[in-house]
Amino acid sequence: MNERILIVDDEESLRMSLKFKLKSAGFDVDVAVDGEEALNRLKSKQVDVVLLDINMPRMSGIEALTRIRQDFPQTEAIMLTGFADFSTAIECLKMGARDYLVKPVDTTELVTRVRSLIRSRVSERALQEVQERLSSVLPNDLMGPLTKIQDLLDQASKLEGDAESKERKKLLGTARELIAKMEKNLQGLLDVSKQTAQLEPRERR
Amino acid sequence: MTETKQARAIRYVYKFKFDNGAEKVFDILLNEETLELLGSDSEPKPAWTKLKYSQCENCPLPDSVEHCPVAVNLSKLVDSFFASASYEAALVTVESPQRTYVKKTTLQKGLSAIIGIYMSTSNCPIMDKLRPMTRFHLPFANSIETFFRSISSYLTAQFLLMTKGKEPDWEMKGLREIYKSVNIVNKGMSQRLLNATKTDANVNAVVILHSFGDGISYVIDSGLVDLEPMFSVLLKDAGVAAAEPPEKGQASSKPT
Repeated sequence: MNERILIVDDEESLRMSLKFKLKSAGFDVDVAVDGEEALNRLKSKQVDVVLLDINMPRMSGIEALTRIRQDFPQTEAIMLTGFADFSTAIECLKMGARDYLVKPVDTTELVTRVRSLIRSRVSERALQEVQERLSSVLPNDLMGPLTKIQDLLDQASKLEGDAESKERKKLLGTARELIAKMEKNLQGLLDVSKQTAQLEPRERR
Repeated sequence: MTETKQARAIRYVYKFKFDNGAEKVFDILLNEETLELLGSDSEPKPAWTKLKYSQCENCPLPDSVEHCPVAVNLSKLVDSFFASASYEAALVTVESPQRTYVKKTTLQKGLSAIIGIYMSTSNCPIMDKLRPMTRFHLPFANSIETFFRSISSYLTAQFLLMTKGKEPDWEMKGLREIYKSVNIVNKGMSQRLLNATKTDANVNAVVILHSFGDGISYVIDSGLVDLEPMFSVLLKDAGVAAAEPPEKGQASSKPT
């Protein structure tokens, strides 16, 4: 499935020219005339990136951005401004927009920025997945067995003489099993880490 | 003398009326034959109209030209909307010799229509190519209407070339090139206006024109698929089935 882009601008010609360009670049594209319509569209369809004009009637781009960040955190926003109002653009970045472009938009640059944003988003999600797996694996599958192994080794070291060698063997065998289990979990983590690195090689440099 | 000149002129009167009661009027006179703007010599020439101020990267004018002709044509208008917001509501009335158009619209939309006339009638060697469209000026046009006027105008020129023994460009490769150059001027002009104005109305009006320029190459590349359904009768007569019309309000863009 192609990534879905939502263009939000009150000017028809701009919506159309951006739509032409993004569709020909392989994206699925939807349009909305203002912030209110954009929010309605986001409710009905998942959108990867929204291109949001800052100056619009009814609901400004800044207000729409606030609502999008709050209600649709999975959707990234790139702001469009017809006037090089950098302070507003920076305010939007602080509010969670990922980028901004000054109109007239260079459509080739637009496609590059959208692709780059989608790539980094995929990468960030994969990283987040690794972090989530790490935080669940470390306490249960690594720290737990490690404590158990230490305990088993402590017990084994206290056993003396031939009479207790059978019991020592049993303890060491259990420790070995736990180590093998830990190794398997560690290998799983390494595999996920490698897959993540392959997703976005440029950003791993 | 003046009467003779006015009798040969095409006149467009643009009136912008705002909710606070303010009204601004612009009277445009074009030479009926050459479609050149009349009376632009008397326009003010602020510093931002100097050719070198923010010269377009494809400007073919020599250094001996002191002022950018497009900027000079726009100066009075730009000054009038120096601090206006693009989405400000305005009742715009356009009187042409044949009819009167009235629309409650955004200021940027009204401005883009009038700026389109000023730019293409300025004697800028690049914008000159769009001048024939001025004769059939259509205020508040949407994208598809502008694409149609632009394509029709270019194909008419190709027919004229053919009748004079020249090779016509039916594939409209030249039209793509014209808009490529025009959009460099649009970009240069928006940069110039960024420095000359306080808010976004003037800049956004040029941005609208830039969008049309961007869109035209995709329309041509698509094989005019958006216009095709309108010609279904003619196509049918020739034994060709017309393509399905695009979704309502959604122009198609079939990439080549």
